Amino acid sequence: MSAGLLGLRRDGPAIAMGTVPLLFLLLLFVYPVARLLSFSVEGGNFAHFEKALTDGLYVQVFLETLRIALIVAAICLVLGYPLAYGLAIASPLWATIGFAFLLLPFWTSVLVRTYAWMILLGRNGLLNRTLLDLGIIDQPLALLHNRTGVIIGMVHVLLPYMVFPIYSVMRRVDRQLLSAAEGLGASPTQAFRRVFVPLTLPGVFAGATLVFVISLGFFITPALLGGGRVMMIGVQIERLVRQFLDWGLAAAVAIILLAAALGIAALLRRLLRGDLTWS
Amino acid sequence: MTISKMAWLGGVALAAAVAWAVPVAAQTAKPAQIVVNASGGAQAAALRKSFYEEFEKRFGIRVVDSSPPDMGKLRAMVTTGNIEWAVTELNVEDAMLAQEQGLLEPIDPKIVDRSRFPANLQGRTHIFTRSAYSTVMGYRNDIFPAGKRPTTWADFWNVKDFPGPRAMQNSPIDNLEFALIADGVDKDKLYPLDVERAFKKLDQIKPHVTVWWTTGAQSAQLLIDKEVVLGTAWNGRYYAAIQQGAPINMEWNQAGIKESAFVIPKGAKDAHWAQQMLSVMTDPKLQGIYANIVTYPGLNLDATQYTDPKIQPFLPTHKDNLSRQWWQDVDWWVKNGKTMQDRWSRWVIAK
Repeated sequence: MSAGLLGLRRDGPAIAMGTVPLLFLLLLFVYPVARLLSFSVEGGNFAHFEKALTDGLYVQVFLETLRIALIVAAICLVLGYPLAYGLAIASPLWATIGFAFLLLPFWTSVLVRTYAWMILLGRNGLLNRTLLDLGIIDQPLALLHNRTGVIIGMVHVLLPYMVFPIYSVMRRVDRQLLSAAEGLGASPTQAFRRVFVPLTLPGVFAGATLVFVISLGFFITPALLGGGRVMMIGVQIERLVRQFLDWGLAAAVAIILLAAALGIAALLRRLLRGDLTWS
Repeated sequence: MTISKMAWLGGVALAAAVAWAVPVAAQTAKPAQIVVNASGGAQAAALRKSFYEEFEKRFGIRVVDSSPPDMGKLRAMVTTGNIEWAVTELNVEDAMLAQEQGLLEPIDPKIVDRSRFPANLQGRTHIFTRSAYSTVMGYRNDIFPAGKRPTTWADFWNVKDFPGPRAMQNSPIDNLEFALIADGVDKDKLYPLDVERAFKKLDQIKPHVTVWWTTGAQSAQLLIDKEVVLGTAWNGRYYAAIQQGAPINMEWNQAGIKESAFVIPKGAKDAHWAQQMLSVMTDPKLQGIYANIVTYPGLNLDATQYTDPKIQPFLPTHKDNLSRQWWQDVDWWVKNGKTMQDRWSRWVIAK
């Protein structure tokens, strides 16, 4: 108790500075969210949760959401790891150029980027027309208005979330360890695989968690690129709120989504910590 | 306390008492502006040129427009008492639902004169039918040249003679009716809908529908981009695309016509001025101006004479078009809408 008081005195200015944003969050974020979530137990029972967890429609949509989030995280990792590595070893000039390319779309509205994908991926879009003209395909590929389109759009939006954590960890890796490994007889590939990669795993886990968790709640991209046939949970919540006015069920679904996201984030943290103790 | 201060306080108290005792006076006090919420886009400009400009001129109150119509937002506004809109557009099923849930102000017949409206629309107590619109079939006229054009829903379902990807709205509304007509049901004997038969017929077209659209803008764009070659859309959307030179034809035969509703949220602080806005919207001349821009006609029976003859073939209410269409049965949809939407959500994502 006294330690806490001492701490309070010492941290006085910090606490004072933190109070305003904290109040801001409490008032404008936590309170409304809590209010919304309280709808889920209106009537004093868990009927909405029961429906959300047992109704075939919601189960199917949850599974589809998990599947897409997993695929998106995996593709982001496969693309993001080499990209982060390239940026980490590049000369300052090339690193700057690389980041500019990575960040430029990051600063563009998701909506604009999603529409851009519609122009590129459409049946009559740039990509299909080029491939048709080159005679590589004789039927347009179905790249839009299906799961493929949603995944392409989401990977594009979420890739920076994978690259930045990995990059920042890679920059901190001591390069002399690689030289040491090679000095001890490891081939460059072995040194990369057995020294460098394990050291960058914290970044990989952080990036994967970010991408996966953000994917779970994605709305604009699946709504626009899914053609109505790809139903992710965010789209379903929006329909419940706006179209069906079933806020109780919407709140229950939102809580389950929140719990799943927190649970998965905690699990990945666990994995990460476990991995660190192995090394 | 000085005398002047006391007098001032007394004045304030008196003013407060008056405001409390005479709510009517408080209600009619002129606000600087009112917000009218509608679909946005080209419609917003047309609403301004026709009704909003006239309203501003008549009453000296600025009209601010916002979009889109949103049932969730309407309910949030009314339940929290923080009502931003004086008037909002809603599709008529939503409007009926909102009325049922007590979210709407009644229309004041002393202000809003609908005596020149069709009799069935005069009786709507909380819903003002501002316009009519149709969901029509549209197609690329470069893919389907003259003589090889789809004209019926049976043609829309006929993927052998009319091949190519199709788009339909992501909603059971209209689509159940289209399916039944395609299956041979008389367009004038649709209701009550044979739901099982409709979904069974929809199963047949499902693999050929590559996009289930959700917004009006999307529906026309899909044909413009050649993403699909056949589709459905609200008539004004195709009209706008055709005006821009897109190679699109629309087909009035067997199209579904329905009401577009404007309503006043329950407890709207400028309800009196909202009623005045609806009153402006009954003006046949202004309805004519509006229809000339977006091809959505007003329902005042005198409006036709103020509509450009060149525009008239594009209006759902034009006599040649009207006789070939069917009117949506609002009551059936209000009663069954929720069940149908739920069933649709499952059907559309089922493999």
